[in-house]
Amino acid sequence: MFNRFQFLFQTNTSREKQMRAAINQKLIEMGERERLKELLRAKLIECGWRDQLKALCKEVIKEKGIENVTVEDLVAGVTPKGRALVPDSVKKELLQRIRAFLAQHST
Amino acid sequence: MKMEDMSLSGLDNTKLEALAHDVYSDLVEDACLGLCFEVHRAVKQGYFFLDETDQESMKDFEIVDQPGVDIFGQVYNQWKNKECVCPNCSRSIAASRFAPHLEKCLGMGRNSSRIANRRIASSNNTSKSESDQEDNDDINDNDWSYGSEKKAKKRKSEKNPNSPRRSKSLKHKNGELSSNVNPDLYKYNYSSGISYETLGPEDLRSILTTQCGVVSEHTKKMCTRSQRCPQHTDEQRRAVRVFLLGPSASMLPDSETMLENDGYDAPDGQLIMSRLQWDGSSDISPSDSASSKASTNNSESKRPKKKKNPSTLTLTTTGGGGERDKGQERERVVGSGSGSSSSQNALGLSSRKKRPKLPVPPGPSIYDDLN
Repeated sequence: MFNRFQFLFQTNTSREKQMRAAINQKLIEMGERERLKELLRAKLIECGWRDQLKALCKEVIKEKGIENVTVEDLVAGVTPKGRALVPDSVKKELLQRIRAFLAQHST
Repeated sequence: MKMEDMSLSGLDNTKLEALAHDVYSDLVEDACLGLCFEVHRAVKQGYFFLDETDQESMKDFEIVDQPGVDIFGQVYNQWKNKECVCPNCSRSIAASRFAPHLEKCLGMGRNSSRIANRRIASSNNTSKSESDQEDNDDINDNDWSYGSEKKAKKRKSEKNPNSPRRSKSLKHKNGELSSNVNPDLYKYNYSSGISYETLGPEDLRSILTTQCGVVSEHTKKMCTRSQRCPQHTDEQRRAVRVFLLGPSASMLPDSETMLENDGYDAPDGQLIMSRLQWDGSSDISPSDSASSKASTNNSESKRPKKKKNPSTLTLTTTGGGGERDKGQERERVVGSGSGSSSSQNALGLSSRKKRPKLPVPPGPSIYDDLN
């Protein structure tokens, strides 16, 4: 039994992966991904998320020294906080659009 | 990926929601990365911390709003009244005239070569007839002012057409080839022609054998370009020759009209007659004797290409017997309607550049047949 569940689980994940890949491909092909990206960017600038993150970057730079800071330093130092700092409204709106797309194009 | 794989029925909402979240996270991560790259570049390029400059430096770069000065505080017409020293001639030149002066001074502008050529030609022609050297210098110095250019032009047109230099070079033309032609042409070119009225018959003939010679209506001067100059047709050239040398003295090598001219001995009689056969001969039947100038033109142009003879035709030698073997000429001899008088003209023709390549057909015997 355990094996059967495992088996099911595995097929499901591989199917999920397939599904994901297909969806991503569709997003890109139809230009929806680009549109979503632009929308997110605009919203983040509007809500001040970008400036917040820039301040964070400054701190990282001052910490590491202006000459030696690398992209990896910045990414590692900033991305987790960045993800957390996205306002809820923005997140909700984006998710809504994605769901709509999925609903429209996955049948 | 088939559509069936993506059917909703195969997935429950949670999975779909998870998928949506994944897509969302990807997007947010992209945004973060983009920002990091931007910031990193700004840091490395040095403009990330610009908004944190201190007050003092800010004051240094404030916008300037005074009259007579641009927003950076620079005066824009500072150099109008200044004078520069030319590195070439060490003269003091006004700044706004400096560039044109340098152009002429260094000989690198559009007209500087023309001016220099004119100056050389005028100094060549007037150095003998003029003892007034100072005058020349003045003109040379002011080559970039329009007034003195006009003066220079007038001076050149006054040169003596019968000056010793001129006729000497003309006489050379008869015996030798191109070596003398070019300098003469060069000398005459800028004045755009020769006046036929002042030339004697010998001079005229020698000019007409080497140059186009068509008289321009406005300037009454003879064209100094080659016999093939594109500006004038062969008809014009023939007309000029008829006009200048007498009705039957058309000296065009292409023409097949009766050539009667005296004044030349015929030591090269053979050569000349053979030459004339060459000229007169064409690819057409004997019936076209007078009108086939065009055809002879064609054959003229073809022949130098066809006949690359190892035995080059020198003007002075008459041992042209070797060329007898060229049956073509013998056949074509009929086309030329020339008499013995043609020999003299051919001598003039012989001085042209093209001639050396042509072979020497057989001697008087064939000629007699024609007559």
